[in-house]
Amino acid sequence: MQVDIPQVLFKNRHLGRPATIDEYMAGGGYEALRATIGQRTPAEVLQLVLDADLRGRGGAGFPAGRKWQGIPADHVGTRYVVINTDEMEPGTFKDRVLVNVDPHLVIEGIILCAYAVGACEGVFFIRPSYEGDAKLIEQETQVARERGYLGKNILGTEFCFDVHVHRSAGRYICGEASAQIKAISGLRPNPRKGGPRTSVRGLWDCPTIVNNLETLANLPGIVRNGPAWFKSLARSESGSGTKLYSVSGMVARPGCYELPIGVTIRDIIFTHAGGMPPGKTFKTVIPGGASTPYLPETLLDLEMDFDPMKKAGQRFGTASLMVFDKDTCLVGATLSLMEFFARESCGWCTPCREGIPYVRELLRRIEGGEGTEEHIGMLQEMLPVLDLAYCAFAPGAAEPLRGLLTHFMDEVRAHITEKRCPFGNPPPHVRGKACGTRPPQFGPTPCPEDQCPI
Amino acid sequence: MSPLPPELSTELHRLVTAVDNPREAAVDVMYALQHHYGYLCDEAMHRAAEVLGMTTLELESLATFYDYLYRRPVGRYVIHVCDSVVCWMFHQDSIFDYLCRTLGVPPGGTTEDGLFTVLPAACVGNCHNAPTMLINGRFYDRLTPEAVDAVIAELRAGTEEPVRCK
Amino acid sequence: MPDLIIDGRPVTVDKGVSVIEAAERAGVMIPRFCWHKSLGAAGACRLCAVMFVEGPVKGLEMSCMTPAADGMVVETGHPKAVAFRRQIIELLMANHPHDCPVCDEGGHCLLQDETISGGHSLRRFPGRKRTYQDQNLGPFIQHEMNRCIHCYRCARFYQDYCGYRDFGPMQNANRVYFGRFEDGPLDNPFAGNLADLCPTGTLTDKPGRFVARRWDCQRAPSVCLHCSLGCNVTALSRYRRVARIEARDNAAINGAFICDRGRYGFGYQSAQERPRAPLAAGRPATPEEALRAAAGLLAAAAKRHGPDAVAVVGGQRSTMETQAALIALARAAGWRAPAFFAAAREQAQARQALYALTPPRARSLADLAKADAVLVVGVSPLADAPMLTLTLRQAARAGAAIFLADPRPLALPLDHVHLPLAPRQLAAVLAVAAAGEDASGLIQQKFPLAPELWPRLEALAQAMAKAKRPALAYAPALAASLPGDDRVGLFPVLAQAGTAGAALLAPTDAPGLDELAAELAAGRIKAVIAVETDLFAAAPALAARLDALEALVVLDHLPTPTVAAAQVFLPTATLFETGGTLAASDGRLQRAEPVQAPGLSVLADGAGDHPPRDYARPLPGTDPAPAAFWCDRLGRALSLELPRHPLAEALAAHPVLADLDPVTLPAEGQRPTYPGREPATPESPPAQPAAEGLAVVMETPFFGGDELSRYAPLTADKTGPAVALLHPDDAAGLNLADGATVALDCGDAPATAAVRLHPGVARGVVVVPRLPRFDALPPNLGPCGLRRRETP
Ligand SMILES: Cc1cc2nc3c(=O)[nH]c(=O)nc-3n(C[C@H](O)[C@H](O)[C@H](O)COP(=O)(O)O)c2cc1C
Ligand code: SF4
Ligand code: FES
Repeated sequence: MQVDIPQVLFKNRHLGRPATIDEYMAGGGYEALRATIGQRTPAEVLQLVLDADLRGRGGAGFPAGRKWQGIPADHVGTRYVVINTDEMEPGTFKDRVLVNVDPHLVIEGIILCAYAVGACEGVFFIRPSYEGDAKLIEQETQVARERGYLGKNILGTEFCFDVHVHRSAGRYICGEASAQIKAISGLRPNPRKGGPRTSVRGLWDCPTIVNNLETLANLPGIVRNGPAWFKSLARSESGSGTKLYSVSGMVARPGCYELPIGVTIRDIIFTHAGGMPPGKTFKTVIPGGASTPYLPETLLDLEMDFDPMKKAGQRFGTASLMVFDKDTCLVGATLSLMEFFARESCGWCTPCREGIPYVRELLRRIEGGEGTEEHIGMLQEMLPVLDLAYCAFAPGAAEPLRGLLTHFMDEVRAHITEKRCPFGNPPPHVRGKACGTRPPQFGPTPCPEDQCPI
Repeated sequence: MSPLPPELSTELHRLVTAVDNPREAAVDVMYALQHHYGYLCDEAMHRAAEVLGMTTLELESLATFYDYLYRRPVGRYVIHVCDSVVCWMFHQDSIFDYLCRTLGVPPGGTTEDGLFTVLPAACVGNCHNAPTMLINGRFYDRLTPEAVDAVIAELRAGTEEPVRCK
Repeated sequence: MPDLIIDGRPVTVDKGVSVIEAAERAGVMIPRFCWHKSLGAAGACRLCAVMFVEGPVKGLEMSCMTPAADGMVVETGHPKAVAFRRQIIELLMANHPHDCPVCDEGGHCLLQDETISGGHSLRRFPGRKRTYQDQNLGPFIQHEMNRCIHCYRCARFYQDYCGYRDFGPMQNANRVYFGRFEDGPLDNPFAGNLADLCPTGTLTDKPGRFVARRWDCQRAPSVCLHCSLGCNVTALSRYRRVARIEARDNAAINGAFICDRGRYGFGYQSAQERPRAPLAAGRPATPEEALRAAAGLLAAAAKRHGPDAVAVVGGQRSTMETQAALIALARAAGWRAPAFFAAAREQAQARQALYALTPPRARSLADLAKADAVLVVGVSPLADAPMLTLTLRQAARAGAAIFLADPRPLALPLDHVHLPLAPRQLAAVLAVAAAGEDASGLIQQKFPLAPELWPRLEALAQAMAKAKRPALAYAPALAASLPGDDRVGLFPVLAQAGTAGAALLAPTDAPGLDELAAELAAGRIKAVIAVETDLFAAAPALAARLDALEALVVLDHLPTPTVAAAQVFLPTATLFETGGTLAASDGRLQRAEPVQAPGLSVLADGAGDHPPRDYARPLPGTDPAPAAFWCDRLGRALSLELPRHPLAEALAAHPVLADLDPVTLPAEGQRPTYPGREPATPESPPAQPAAEGLAVVMETPFFGGDELSRYAPLTADKTGPAVALLHPDDAAGLNLADGATVALDCGDAPATAAVRLHPGVARGVVVVPRLPRFDALPPNLGPCGLRRRETP
C-alpha cells in the first residue's frame, strides 16, 4: 500500500478484521455525528453534501444531495433511508469489503443521511450471499444503539432513528432502487417508472432515499472535514472524493483499493493492482462492472471519473475493473455476462426478458462455431432494442455487447470463419443447469436448453 | 400439517411483528421455514401464507422469483458455484463440472445421501478470489480440484449445522 | 391543455393524458399490448414506441408512458420506430407457438394483427421455443401459457384492478408464468374479462372454445339482463345459438368490463329444456290454436265474472316493449292493471328511487368511481350489482372512503367499512350520513343498542360531510329517506334488469302481487295471464292457489314451474332474439339489438346429420315470438283496439319519458330528466318496530341467483349451499351451533338449511340465499320460525 494515497474509507483496513466501535472512535469516529446532531440543522448537512458534490457510488452517479432535496419539504410523517447493499453486479465487491473494514463508518454515514433528510427508519438491504455481513451489521448496530447513536432520542436530542437489516433472497434487479423498495415491501421486485420519484413516494408510499452503502460511508468525512477537503481528494477536475475500486480478473493483485476519483485506469491496473500476472498480456478491461463496455487499450489513460468516462463513451459505473488478458475469449466472456443478465432479469419488459436470451442464444452459437455473418447483424440490431428497455438493466446488459461489437469484431469474426472458438474454448454445451429449485408443476417444463431456471 | 415446533412459531411471530407491515417479513419467514423443512415445500408455503396473511400465490410469486429460496428439495449443503464472468475467466466451468462429477450429480442435482446440491450462482461478490463458491454462508476462494476435494471431505466429515440465511 | 401534433394531425387533450391516448383521439392507433385504457400504462411490452421529433421529449420513447405535452410533434411511422416495433414483435414471436389455426384467439388476436401489420413474417432466430405447462383454471378460463407474451394485463387486472390475489405472475426473467399456486377455479368473479383482455390466446373463454370462430359469429350490441345495472355486452351467436358474451364498452356504465354472471349466464337461450312449443289445454298446439285457446279462456272468465276477474302479472326481466304491450293489452281489455311488484309499495319505491335522479344528483357507475366518499345502503354489491364492486374498488383505490350499511356479510375486495344493520335500521344510517360532522348525538339516539358501531357511524358522518363528491348507492326501499342535499350524488340499485322499466311504465294504481293473492283467495280472481315471470318465485302466495283458477295463461322462455302449471302457454323469444329497450338502474334507457332469429340451433336440429338434408320441412323451433307480439295477437283474437307501437305511445304519454324515442336512443343510452320527488309520493313508511324473531334477508347467489342464470347450464349448478347465516349472538340465543341443521318455517313445508355463524351478519337477521326453496319465507320469522332439526 502506498502511503501517499489518502485512505478515508479504508482507514482501519490495516486491522484485517472489522474495526470495533472503540477503534473507530479512536480515529475520530462519531465526531461528525456529535458535531451535527443538535448542533447543525439538517439543511446545513444537506448543504455540505451539495457543496462536496458527492455523487452516488451505486452506479448511476447521481448527486446524493440533489436526490435528498427531492423529498417534499412539507411532508409530515415517516421518511425512510434505504441502504443499498445488494451489490450483485459481477465484478463488484467493494461494499462487502467496506462493511468488513469499518462497520461503524457505515453506520455513522447512515445516521448522518437520516438526520439530513429527517428519516426515522432505515432499511439495510443486503443480498443473501453476504449473510455474514448482515450479521455483522446487526451486531454493530446493536452496539451503536447501546451507545446511544441509534434508537430514540439520539445523543439526548429529539432526533430518533433506527435501522434494521432486510435480507434479500437474491436477484440482481433488486439492486435497482425502485425494485428494491418493492422487494422490501414484499412485492415482486419489478422496477417502477413514471409517477413520483422514490424520494416522493417510496417505501410504504413515504418519501424514501435509496443510497449505495459506499455513498453514505463518505458522509462522516465530508461532515467532519468539509466539502473543500472532500473535493481535494479527487485527482480529476470535476471529481470529488475517493472511490473504492474492485479490481479482479487477470491482474497480479486483485482486490479492492481506495484511490482518488480521477486516477487513470492504467494507474489502477498497473500500479496498484500489480499489473498483469506473469506470462499474461493485457487485452481489455471492463472498467465499471458488468454493465459497462470493454475498454480498448488505447483508452487506458482515461481518468476514472463520471464525466470524463462518459465523454469517452465509457461508463464509470461501480468502478469495478475486470481485466482480461490476450488468451481470454471475449465472445465467451460476453456470453457469460449474458447468461448472468438473462437469468437475473425481472421479466417485466420485452427487450430484457426476450432480448437478452436472444442475444445469449446467438453468442452461444458463435462461440460454439455455428455462428453466421447474419448473426452479427442480428446482434447489432438488438443493441438499440436493449437500450430502450423499461429500466437500466437491459441497457446495462447491452454495454459489454456493444463493446465487443465495437472494439473486438475481429475476434467475433474469427469464430465465424474458423467455425470454432479461436481460443480453444469448448462449445458452450448446455449445462442443463439446475431445474433444481423451482416447483415442477408449472413451466418451463424441464429444460435441456436455453431454459436455465436459476 | 403437523404442528411447527414452538420455537419456530415464536420466531415466525417475532419476524412478523418486528416490522411495521407483515409483508416485509415475507422473505424472512420463508427463509425460516425453508431452514426448518429443508426447502420450501407446499406445506411450508401454506404455513407462510397463514403467518403473513398473504395468499400462497403471492408467496409463490416471490419464492420463485428469488435465487436463494428453494421450492424443490435440496441437499443439506447447497453449493453455489459462481458462474459469472470473472470466475468464468478462471475456468469456473471446469470447477463446476468437477464438482458434478465428483459428487455424481447433474447440475442442480442432489447427492443420494442428501448432503449436497450443486447450483450455478450469479456473481457472489468474491471476484478477487475467483474462482469461488459459496457453501453454508462461507466463501471458498481460488478453487482448484484439490481444494474442492478438501472442502467436500471436510463437509462430509463435519457435523456443522448448515447455515442458511434465516 | 397540451396541444400536440401526431402524424401531422393536431390534437388537444387534457393534462395527464398519455400520447397513446391522444393519438387514439386523433384517429391514430399506435400498436400496443400492455397498455389498456382501463388498466393504464405498464411500459412492459415496448410496442408503443414512437418517434418524438419536437418538444420536451426527444427520440424514440414509449407513447403509453409519456404524458402529452405542449409542442410535441410525434411520428408513429418514423423508420426507427417502425424498426424498433418490428424487433419487439420478432422477440415476442421467438417464443410464440405458430398454432394460430387451432388457437381459439386466431382471427381476433392482437398479436396476430401486430405481427402481420408489423411485417414480421420470417423467423431468423435459430433458438428453440420456450414451453410451459398449463393449469386448469376452472370452468370459465382456458390457460395456454405457451402463447403468453407477458404483457401483464391479466395480472394487473386481476390483482390491481379487481383486488383478488389467487392469480398472478410467478418466476422471473424469461420464465415468468401467469397462473395460480395450484390448479383450481379462479376466485375472481370478474375473471371472465381475462379472455377479453388477453391480447393472445393464452387466456380464452373456455365455454366458447371451439364453438365458433369469433368472426364467424353474428354479433350484436346488447344489454346484460342479469342485474339492474344495464352493463353493455356484445352477444355472439353461431348457428342460432349464443356462443359467448363479451363486454362492450360503455364509458358511463361498465367501462370495458362485465361480471361473470353476465358473461356466463346466457345459456338459457339454447338450453334443451327451453319451452319452445305452444301449449293449449296442456298439450302441444299450433300458435293459432294456443292463441285461440288463451283468448277463449280469458274472454270466458271475464264474461262470467267481470273483467276484474282477470289478473295480469308482468315480469321484471322483460323489455320495456313487453311491459308496455302487456299494460296496453290489460287496459284495452279492461282487466286489472298488470302487477309487476310484490307489493304496490315496492312499485312506488322503485319509481321514487328513479325519480330522485334529477340532473345534478344522478350518477352513473362511472361517476361513482370518481366519488371521494360513497355510502352504499341496503345493497350487497357482489350479489345485487356485481359491477358496482369493481366501481367501488376503483373509487377506493383513488382514496375514496367506502361505507356499506347492509345486514348481509360482505366479502369485498376493497377497503371499506361495513355497518351490519337490520333492514329497519338502514334509514337511520341515511340520517346519520346527512347529519354533518357533529353527528354523535344523533348516532347515540338512533343506535342506542349498537355502541360498537358508533365510531364507524361517526366516521361515516365525517367522511360524507368532508367529501367533495359524496355519493349514495341505495336500495329502492330507502328512496323515501334520501337526503335532500344536492351535493350528494345518487345511484339506485334495483332488483332486476326490467325493474326500472316496470316502475316507470306501470300505472301508478297497479296492484301488487300481494293484493292479487288476497283477491284470488277471496275468489275475486278467476284467470291469470303471467308474462315472463315465475309466480312461484315472485308471488308464492298466489302460486299456492293456482288450482282455484279457471284459466292460467303463461308467456315465457324459461322452463319455470309456472310454465308447467299453465293451461295455455305461448313461447316468447329471448332478448337475444328480440332486442328491446331496457332502463338501467341509473335511470338511463338503452337499446339492445337482436343477434339471431329464434328457432332451434342448427346443431340441435341437425342431430349430427349436418347439414340437415330434409329441406322440405319447416324450420323447427321457430314458434317463439316476442312477448309483445303475442300480446298484440291476443288482443286481436279478443277483437281489442291496441296501439301499434305500445312502447312509443306509452313513452309519448309519459310525464317524464315523453322526450325519448326508443328507436333513436344514443349508443351510451339516454337518461330522461327526472323530476325529483314525486309530488304525490306517500310519506316515507314509518320505521317498522322491531318485530319478535328474525328478519329474513335474501342474498342473491352470484350464479344461479337470478332467474335467467338459474336456467343457464354453465351457472345453474353454482348457486352454493343452502345456508342460513346468523350473527353468533343470535345463534347463541337460539342455542344453535355452527353447522346445525335448521328448519325454516315457510308455508306448508319447512325449508332446511345449515346454520353458519358470521360476525358480519346484522343482529336480529337471518340471511338465506335466494333459492327456490326459500322463496316462500315470510319477511319475519317468529319465535318458532327457525327450529333446530335433530340430525337423523
Ligand atoms: C439493474 C440495476 C442494478 C443495480 N444494482 C445496484 C446495487 O447492487 N447496488 C447499488 O448500490 N446500486 C445499484 N443500482 C443503482 C440503484 O438503482 C441506485 O441508483 C443506487 O442505489 C442509488 O444510490 P447512489 O446514488 O448512492 O449510487 C442498480 C441499478 C440497476 C439499474
Ligand atoms: S429491463 Fe425490463 S425486464 Fe429487465 S430488469 Fe428492467 S424492467 Fe425488468
Ligand atoms: S403499450 Fe406502451 S409499453 Fe406496452
